[in-house]
Amino acid sequence: MGTKRKITGRYFLKVIVGLLVVGVALSMGFGMTIAQPPEVKIGVIYPLSGPVAHAGKMSKDAVALCVDYINNKYPDLPIPIGNWEGIPGLNGAKIKLIFADHRGEPDRGADLAKKLILDDKVVGICGCYHSSVTKTVSTVCEKYKIPMINPESTSPVLTKRGYKWFFRATPHDRIFVRDFFEFLELLTQGKVSGVKAVPKEEIDEIGVCTENTEWGAGTRNVIKEFAKKYGYKIVSDVIYAHESPDLTAEVRRLLAPKPETLMFASYISDAILLTKTMKEFKAKANIFWSQDVGFYQPKYMETFGPAINGILNRTVFSKKLFAVKPVAKYINVEFKKRSGVDFMGTSARAFTGMQAWAYVLNKAGSTDPEAIRKAAETIEIPGKELIVPWKGIKFENVGGETNQNTWSSGLIVQYQAQQPEIIYPLDVATAKFIYPWPGLK
Amino acid sequence: MQIRTLKDALSFGDLPASERIGFILFIIFCLIFPWIIKGGFAQAVMVQFLVFCLYGLGWNLIGGYGGQVALGQAKNVGMSAYTVALLMVRWDISFWASTPLGVIEATIESFILGYFLFRLRGHYFAIATIAVSLVWQQLFINWNFVGGARGIELPLREPPNFIYMRFDSDIYYHYFAFLLVMLAILYMNWFRKSKLGYQLRAITSNEDVAESLGINAHWVKVKAYCITGVFAGMGGAFYTVYYGYIDPFSVMHLELSIMIALMTMIGGAGSMWGPIIGAMILIPLDRYLGAWLGGRGIIGVDFMIYAMMVMIISAYEPRGIWGIIEKARRKR
Repeated sequence: MGTKRKITGRYFLKVIVGLLVVGVALSMGFGMTIAQPPEVKIGVIYPLSGPVAHAGKMSKDAVALCVDYINNKYPDLPIPIGNWEGIPGLNGAKIKLIFADHRGEPDRGADLAKKLILDDKVVGICGCYHSSVTKTVSTVCEKYKIPMINPESTSPVLTKRGYKWFFRATPHDRIFVRDFFEFLELLTQGKVSGVKAVPKEEIDEIGVCTENTEWGAGTRNVIKEFAKKYGYKIVSDVIYAHESPDLTAEVRRLLAPKPETLMFASYISDAILLTKTMKEFKAKANIFWSQDVGFYQPKYMETFGPAINGILNRTVFSKKLFAVKPVAKYINVEFKKRSGVDFMGTSARAFTGMQAWAYVLNKAGSTDPEAIRKAAETIEIPGKELIVPWKGIKFENVGGETNQNTWSSGLIVQYQAQQPEIIYPLDVATAKFIYPWPGLK
Repeated sequence: MQIRTLKDALSFGDLPASERIGFILFIIFCLIFPWIIKGGFAQAVMVQFLVFCLYGLGWNLIGGYGGQVALGQAKNVGMSAYTVALLMVRWDISFWASTPLGVIEATIESFILGYFLFRLRGHYFAIATIAVSLVWQQLFINWNFVGGARGIELPLREPPNFIYMRFDSDIYYHYFAFLLVMLAILYMNWFRKSKLGYQLRAITSNEDVAESLGINAHWVKVKAYCITGVFAGMGGAFYTVYYGYIDPFSVMHLELSIMIALMTMIGGAGSMWGPIIGAMILIPLDRYLGAWLGGRGIIGVDFMIYAMMVMIISAYEPRGIWGIIEKARRKR
């Protein structure tokens, strides 16, 4: 019994010493953990399921790639983030992305924004693709005073609400539509390369076909406004639900008055359905223009192959930019390796939006929301460090808008040999314009 | 008469003790929820749950007690939501003044449509409610005065603003929604003991027999449909100020109508607590699975789990969870 007690005592001593050793080791480990740069959480809200999940996934891949560049050293990357290992202004803190799927539902988006802000304690939000969801999510951010950088929602109204915590990097639909009408004017003046002056009577009857959410309806209003301003007539005006399984009646209505210029705003599944239906109808017009998104996605290009040649798209990105933007080419190689597709307008803007987030955090040097907001208000990111062909990123309050990136701009591309060639602005055009639209062959 | 009505609404004495205890636990749970669960998402889901309780309790009246497969509840939600939003945005009318107008609007619209729709029966009625709902949604999508497809956004006001119901915390919305649900429960408690309640159940059992007993089935159904409109109208008004933005896709979508009906059926249509049980299961399931799996890139699995759950419950007991509870109670 006595021996047993002795052994137990020694054993007890060993345990105490062992525990102390483990404790010291753990505390050292803990100390080391504390010494590690902390994480900065950013909430990313995209439609990862539902009819536009494809666009959401591309955006998700793009922001994830951007964060990989920010968090890890890529010395070959020819922009400053290649040399970063975390955010330098935050002692090398790594960005941690928390993704959420809003399914295209504004109320779900708002609830998820609350989750990210109140539960996950993110320092800011990035997203949300759909303008309607961006509306409710930005309202939540405004309420909780958390900054939000929106890379790709183009409804003009988003920056007209006087929100202090909402920053938009992309040009919006007013800019895109205005660019198109200015392009038409140049076309009538004979200034567009590859085609003689086109009489206005050949292109002045417009058929408008837009999907019916916030984005499509907003585009439609802006088209109407600019058509009036530039002296064009809207001869058919069709609005449809983008989940529609059949668009025959809509296409018939669109084509009935024989419009000379067709203008679209569609998501991917409806863009494919519209094109298929128009092919059946042997649709003819002189110009076919669309608002990026559905008509400017790899899936759309794969589906129709050479039939898409001649279609015009507004966008902010084209592979043709690689000649003047080696950084875009470099990053696109990695993006294609990881996601299987090239950068397109949506994914390129998502990458740029996350890049803007990194620069803003670096400038703020703090995770305090007010410091981040002030940094965003004063940041100037030069265009040479971006993959999109903008002058850069500078959020300004002009023309009744707040925190709109006034250094952003759009491109008009035309599919030629299944490649998007830049047509406008004329000084960066990479090909001659094909006129008239050859139709869907 | 009024005192009797109030007594009927407040008296739960005819219910089994287990139901009364369950009801008290529900009240306690709702009262303490914001204080014990601090998560922002949990509170948002709770508010959603309460709003769907309200929708469901209303739909239960016509769909459960009345046995009418009315799949157009979203149109009533939307009518009230739009009325409130328009009054608040265009004429700067307070929430408290615009909500009664929104609810009246939804009720009048229910009366007019119900008057014609209840000429139909069975599948024809169900299809007609879907059709009317879709037409309504299309009208609002194309009507510029109400913002068209772009919807209406309420201006941000400095919180707290009781007049326009703008608060910086969900707690206020939680208790307001809870108050609405409590009023709805008290109304339903009165309703099930009322003449209208008995008439409606008689019609559900056998409409021809009920009519032979002197019940004007058409009129009773129209009245019940109007009350359904009141519940949906209150929910729609609340939704407007809670999210601060409405469009025809969020408040007039067929999916919302189906969700309300499905939730009530899963919980147990025609029972007092069915809509609450249905909302208690489906709303958190939908929101949490979506947030948890969707954010991790496991896309679509949440839909599968959700659908399987609905199928299992429906196959096991077509009367919903309340049917399962009653079965278990009878066995004892």
